[in-house]
This record gives sequence, structure tokens and C-alpha cells, in this order.
Amino acid sequence: MENLWLGYGGRVILEDVSLIVHAGEIVTILGTSGCGKSTLMRGMIGLLPPRKGRIFFQGREVDPEEGLDWARQKMGVLFQSGALIGSLTLSENVSLPIEEHSDLPEELIRDIVQFKLELVGLGSFGSYLPSELSGGMRKRAALARAMALDPEILFCDEPSSGLDPITSVEMDELLLELNSSLGITMVVITHELPSIEKISHRCIVLDGQARGIIATGKPAELKADHRDPRVQAFFRRQTLDG
Amino acid sequence: MHPDTARTPDGEITIGLPDSLNYEHAGRIWEEVIDILEKDQPRKIKVDFRGTGKVDSAGIALLRLLRRRCLKKGIDLQFESVPPSCEYFLRYIESEPLPPSERPSFSLSRAISSLGTSSLRETLAFRDLVRFQGELLIAALKTVRSARHFRWKEVYYYLQLAGAEAMPIVFLLSFLIGLVMAFQAAVQLRQFGANIYVADMLSLALTRELGPVFTAVILAGRSGAAFAAEIGTMKVSEEVDALVVMGFDITQFLVLPKVIALALCGPLLTMWANASGIFGGIVVGVLTLDITPASFLQQSYNALVMTDILSGLIKSLVFAVLVALIGCFRGLQASKGADSVGRQTTSAVVSGIFLIILADAVFTIIFHVFDW
Repeated sequence: MENLWLGYGGRVILEDVSLIVHAGEIVTILGTSGCGKSTLMRGMIGLLPPRKGRIFFQGREVDPEEGLDWARQKMGVLFQSGALIGSLTLSENVSLPIEEHSDLPEELIRDIVQFKLELVGLGSFGSYLPSELSGGMRKRAALARAMALDPEILFCDEPSSGLDPITSVEMDELLLELNSSLGITMVVITHELPSIEKISHRCIVLDGQARGIIATGKPAELKADHRDPRVQAFFRRQTLDG
Repeated sequence: MHPDTARTPDGEITIGLPDSLNYEHAGRIWEEVIDILEKDQPRKIKVDFRGTGKVDSAGIALLRLLRRRCLKKGIDLQFESVPPSCEYFLRYIESEPLPPSERPSFSLSRAISSLGTSSLRETLAFRDLVRFQGELLIAALKTVRSARHFRWKEVYYYLQLAGAEAMPIVFLLSFLIGLVMAFQAAVQLRQFGANIYVADMLSLALTRELGPVFTAVILAGRSGAAFAAEIGTMKVSEEVDALVVMGFDITQFLVLPKVIALALCGPLLTMWANASGIFGGIVVGVLTLDITPASFLQQSYNALVMTDILSGLIKSLVFAVLVALIGCFRGLQASKGADSVGRQTTSAVVSGIFLIILADAVFTIIFHVFDW
């Protein structure tokens, strides 16, 4: 991303943000509520057209007017709520993007879906509706759907929100496993410190008042050395007043 | 992009995979592999990965299906020259648990069981509806005792929404029905010189039957569906649970205002529909039958007795209460998920119309017995 400006209506949320995500790395985007984390992700996945600036994917500029299909087929998105289609079973949810973007025979599609569900530990839940599952299972099913087309980059919006600590750790481990075994690049929005420390190769800290990135680096470095009080406060779970 | 195959006389086939085993090529390669399995009936298959760079989920699915087929047919399967990037997937394939069970085939006991389950479900739904009516009655009695605490503002809101805002559509539909009926009747009655009796037929049909039924159907489509969707959405977003936890009586808080509003606006809208239909008849009378508006109205007045109008209004009151009741009931039956709200909304309209017709049949018998 190069000098990106994002906002809604008359309100600018992020100004002049530049960021490079390298292949194979896990980048976490963090910051306090309302600082623009989800806005940045919506900009990156093409749901929010930038006011100014440019986005590149694998060296090619992503131009909304040209159409985003070529880029979207290479990206998976795990939304905060999971965003599974309630009237479809888990198998049907996962097979949706495959049916849309490939001409594989049904037998192969069925097996890919099974593979994806097994990958997230839901191999025997294919015939269940999302409403019949717990929050953590819905998140994992949504991850299976996001992974359906073997994306090269996976965007996760608060993957552990609303999950208990154990399920949250399981989700982190799943993301790490997918990154290390399949080499998927990940951009993860979170404000869960344990998750950040566990999964991220690099952190990007956003600030609502600065309307942009105020720090970038490895979590341990940011926690130990960073001089910005806002970054310190975030990592030490303190208010800015101390 | 085709796989290279080599055969030996003792029934061994080596399949050399192309450089990419991915979404783009897997479908075509799978068809060729199936062809080899069917035609050659090999004893052993070697899958050679030499020269294969990219394997994605579609490739994995292909290899897994091939493994299953080979296991089933007793064919020995070997993977050779596996690149490091594929090792993870092959480990996964080889540790595959038992394949998911096939969809069960039809059996008589399952069919009977399914019939029993659905009958039980319907019986329980009917029991719930009866219970819901009882709860509504209790809520109504409580409201009579402490009318001061009742949310009358809500009643006015729904009166506006379901009553006043429905007037244009009720007028339009009733006017058109009156117009069409009068026209059809005129074509027949003109042959006997009985033009004026169009007014008798139209006013009787509208006040006793069509006015109440059509108004109730419009209410079911507009308000019944809206009530189900509103309460259903509240249920899905846990607003109903929040109200329960805060100690509210859901029936009194959410259902009763809607029922009272519809009970009030049902008869009023029916009167409006009757007038609109008769107006449609007058237009036909004036334009095609040379009947003046005054004589049309006089003829209608002569044809109608008080019981005709009252029976229609009583019906409309009951229909409106049924529509409101079933709309709220279906809304409260919504479970998690947006699809459930959609299903319950549809069900509210369908059940509402069914109950209207059923109640109309019951009224017809009752009015016949009491000679109304």
C-alpha cells in the first residue's frame, strides 16, 4: 500500500498510510478500538475504495475500476462475525467459492471441502448449519471457507474475538500451522496481546488520533524498547495517564 | 496438460504428473485417471511427482480420491519422487480417517420415523400456539388491571403503521375488486334487464365476505409479516432475551400492543374497503349501466340489513386478531440465523391466510345456524 487515505462519508479515518506485507509473513495490525484497523483491512480487500493512494498485490496495481476478481481469487477473508451463510450447511458454505471460481467435478469439490473442514478440525460437521455450532466452531468454519481456494494471503479480522482463552489459543495455533505448513501470508487484526505475541512476525500499531501507523516491528521489540507512550501503554495494558 | 503414463506387462502403471496439480488442471487430470482405472484395471499404480512443482487443495483432493479408489479395488498405490512442498499433504492423505459415511438409503422404518417426528413437531407447534393464546389472554387481563402501565404509545404506533399506512393499498385493491365484480355481474344481469341488481350483489358480497377477507389478507401480507420479521430479528439479536432478563412479560410488552392495534384497525379498514369497493361498483354503474350514484347507493342501502354489516365487522375483528397473533407467534419461534427469520416471516403469512380462510368457513356455518 502506498500513501493510502481511507474514510467514510466526510470522515477521514486513515491518512497517508504506507505498508508492505512480505510473502509468508504474519503481520498483525493492532491498536485501540476505533483506530482504523478494520477500515485498513476493508481498504486492503477492496471493500472500501481508497480516497487517495495505491494498493499493489504481487507487484500489480489493484485498480477497482479494472475489477478486483483476479486479486480476490488469491485472497481469503475471515470476517469478525464469521459471516457464514445461515441457510447453508458448513459444507455448502465452504464449497461456494470453489463452485464459483473453478470447473472441477463435484466429486473433487466434495473432497476439497472435506479436506478444508478437516484442516480446521470440523471434518464431521459438514452437514451442520452455522446456527447449530458454537462461536469457536463457526469461526473455524469461516476460516475453512476463507481457505477454500488456497489463498496466497489471508486477512483475519479479530479471529479470537468472542472466544474463550482455550479456543482462542487453538485458533492462534491453527493460524500458525496454516502459515508454517502452507506458507500462507497473513494479515491479522487483533488487540489480544497473547495472540499478538504468539503469532506475529511483525506488528503494525495504528493510532486513531494520528490517523495512521505509529510503530512497526517485532512484538518483543515494541514491548521492550519503543519510546512512544501510546505503544508502551498498549503493550503494558495501561491507560496513557499511567 | 496431460499426465504421462507408462505400462508394464505385469499390470503396473506409472502416472507421471504434470508440473501443476492445481485447481486449473485437476478436473481434466482426474477424468484421465478415472479412464486409466476403468480401462486398464492395473495391479499397481506409481504416481511420479518428478517435474511437479505446484500441488494445491484440488491436487490433494485428486490424490486422496485416487487413494480411496485404489484401496477399494485392491490396487497397490505408491507415490514417488515427492517434492518437499508436497510432503505435508501426503502425510495428511496417508493419515486420512475413514471416509464420511454415505447418505443413508430409503427404508420403511426411517420413513415411518420421519412421519412420526414431523407429526410430533406439528402437534408440539399447535400446543405452543394454544399456550401462546393463553398467555395473551393472561397478559390482556393483567393489562385491564393495570392499564396505566401499558405501553399505549406502541398501540398508536402500530395503528399508524398497520392501519393508516395501509389505507392507500386497501383502497386501491378494494376499488379494483368492486370494479371488476360489478363489471362481470353487469355483463350477465344486463341480459335480463336487471342492471340495478349489480348494487345488491356487490354490496352484499363486499360487506359479508370479500371486504373482511381481502382486508385480512392484506393485513397478513403487510402487518403479519412485519410483526414476524420484527420480533424474529429481535429474537436473533438477543433483544428478546434481554427483555426477559430485565423482567418484562414478553407477551404484554411485545405482542399485546400489536394485537390491540390490529384488532382496532381490522374493522376500520374493512369499512374502508367496503366503501372503496362500492365506489368501484358505482364507477361501473355510471359508465356502463346508466345507473346514477344516488340510485346505486339507495339500492345498496335497501339490500343491506344491519346483520350483514355486523357479521362482516365481527369477522374482520377476529381475522385481524388471528393475523397479529400468528405473526407474533412465528416471530417468537425464530431461532438463530437470518434464514430462520425469513422462514418464520413466510410462515406467518401462509399460516395467517390459512387461518383467515378456516375462520371464515367456521363463521359461515355459525351465521347459517343462527340465521344471521
